[in-house]
Amino acid sequence: MYDSPISERQLTQQEIKFSARGVQVYYGDNHAIKGVDVDLEDKTVTAFIGPSGCGKSTFLRCLNRMNDTIDICRVEGTITLDDQDIYDKRVDPVQLRARVGMVFQKPNPFPKSIYDNVAYGPRIHGMARNRDELDSIVEKSLRRAAIWDEVKDRLNAPGTGLSGGQQQRLCIARAVATEPEVLLMDEPCSALDPIATAQVEELIDELRQDYSVVIVTHSMQQAARVSQKTAFFHLGHLVEFGETSQIFTNPEDKRTESYITGRIG
Amino acid sequence: MTETALNPRPMPVKKDLMVEDANTRRRNAAEKRFRAYGLAAILIGLFFLIVLAVSILRNGLPAFTQTVVSVEFTLKAADRDAAESQLFKTKAYQDLFIAELAGKLDERGVEVVFDAATIERLLGKIGGDLRAFYQANPDRVGEPVSFELPASSRVDGYFNGRVTRETLQDSRFLMAADLDLVDAMQEAGIVQSSLNWTFLTGADSGVDNPGGAGIGASVIGSFFMMLVVLVLSLPIGVAASIYLEEFAPKNRFTDLIEVNISNLAAVPSIVFGILGLAVFIQFMHLPQSAPLVGGLVLTLMTLPTIIISTRASLKSVPPSIRDAALGVGASKMQSVFHHVLPLAMPGILTGTIIGLAQALGETAPLLLIGMVGFVARGYPDGFVAGFTEANSAMPAQIYTWAARADASFYDKAWGGIIVLLVFLLSMNILAILLRRKFERRW
Repeated sequence: MYDSPISERQLTQQEIKFSARGVQVYYGDNHAIKGVDVDLEDKTVTAFIGPSGCGKSTFLRCLNRMNDTIDICRVEGTITLDDQDIYDKRVDPVQLRARVGMVFQKPNPFPKSIYDNVAYGPRIHGMARNRDELDSIVEKSLRRAAIWDEVKDRLNAPGTGLSGGQQQRLCIARAVATEPEVLLMDEPCSALDPIATAQVEELIDELRQDYSVVIVTHSMQQAARVSQKTAFFHLGHLVEFGETSQIFTNPEDKRTESYITGRIG
Repeated sequence: MTETALNPRPMPVKKDLMVEDANTRRRNAAEKRFRAYGLAAILIGLFFLIVLAVSILRNGLPAFTQTVVSVEFTLKAADRDAAESQLFKTKAYQDLFIAELAGKLDERGVEVVFDAATIERLLGKIGGDLRAFYQANPDRVGEPVSFELPASSRVDGYFNGRVTRETLQDSRFLMAADLDLVDAMQEAGIVQSSLNWTFLTGADSGVDNPGGAGIGASVIGSFFMMLVVLVLSLPIGVAASIYLEEFAPKNRFTDLIEVNISNLAAVPSIVFGILGLAVFIQFMHLPQSAPLVGGLVLTLMTLPTIIISTRASLKSVPPSIRDAALGVGASKMQSVFHHVLPLAMPGILTGTIIGLAQALGETAPLLLIGMVGFVARGYPDGFVAGFTEANSAMPAQIYTWAARADASFYDKAWGGIIVLLVFLLSMNILAILLRRKFERRW
């Protein structure tokens, strides 16, 4: 699809957005994440790759404290967003999630109209003072998610009536409508066909101008296409983290090499 | 070496697609048998439903009609003055009517012998009714007025075959000889059947006056009870289930509560009746026989049903919707009230209506708190009084009628069942309409 991977485009060193130190995650007795240290940069797409059950989704969900909703889940270590500990007692996870948006594996639009789907976040955060402002936020978000032209004539149609790829882009529009600083994407393309995947990938590359994007993916081609940094997880360890081109062409660790060449995973 | 030695596996026999093999035949036969069982089960159910409906309608419909004797009666001014000057004025009016009736029957060539006592047994004390009418409408004197006089409910029984000359035991209510007059009046064509408004709108009557008994007052009693049940059990039940399902930590204590709620749903209703008697009436001194107390007792009974069904429908909302709401920065409460609850609404409504329908038909607890029987006071005056004044409820009223010795009340009990079923059906239809309105797909 692409002659040269997006990741080969020019890189500039960005500020650190997320910084994790010694993160341990337990589900009951199951030790899911074992001491992860990682720095995620601003305005960069970071891909998490690794075989199923390696903890990449778990780690992603730690970044906006979605794991809090699971009773048996316990997180140790520190994760900072702009040098503030997000697991500090004073932090309200709701406030954190307004700054760190999330797109899920399965498209999950609310069973409401397309307009209401996008407008929901701005509404509950009081981002628009009147209907006109809300309209412009909705339009801007839908344009950013590259779905405006397809839905502009039927904003009152139910969001669940769209096709899978459209639904996922609607969810992305919903996530960017609240103006988050970081966008977490948990296998956003696993339920999409190749054409919709290409659209979403292009979108991710555009979103990089404004956001820090973290994407979990099972497709190594996808990681290579969209990300600048790649982290390889294996059995709860962060095995290797670095420039995407570096990881895919000249991995340092044996396990990374085995995985990207298809021998494990 | 031969071919077979190189290729030891025998060639598989090609199966003919046009012929069923034994295995397929067996499976198809099993399926056919199962379908037949299912169909039979449905037909059996349908059969009993039809039998039930037919017997209810056959027995209950007579309660909605009553036999009336319609007589055109002209009161001359002179007769009125004569009657008013007598000592027993209503008796005088009755005699005038009897003369008129006898004249009518003669005119049509029907011969029958009857006396004032017969008329009193068949039509009641009509003299008073006539006098009251002419005192209220003095200008109608001298012109023909058509009176429709309701006959005793035993006459209804005679027409629908429950009372016959052979089975009738002479009593102060009806003599076998009275039936001659009934036959004569029917021959003369002045006996009609008309809608029994008293049954629909009236209150319960004395044990020897089945004709005056009505279900209206107890419909109102049931209505106020259901109002109490709905207003209390829906918010309490939904709030409890949302807390248990979405917010409460999962530990021993909440497990214990859960088990207890499930057990409460299975507690026999009479136990709730005893509880209501002890707590609401004996301890809290709330008025006896009041719809308020009945409603409170039925609320206790309905709560577990509503909690269980609400929790089930909250559980059935896909977790991805909760994630989506939390993911855009909604709080837990926002995600529940904006997204989960609207999606669970159809299920909650269904559970609530089932709970209400159960409560509506419940008799046992009402017997214990005294919501039975004879309420001569009739309708409550005003909205508040509807909750606090003594009243009856439909199932309890039906029970009372069914228990009475006079067979005429038997019709009333069946008629009451029809009214109860109509009430239930309209509640269910309302539930279906509401569910349609709230239903959304995801």
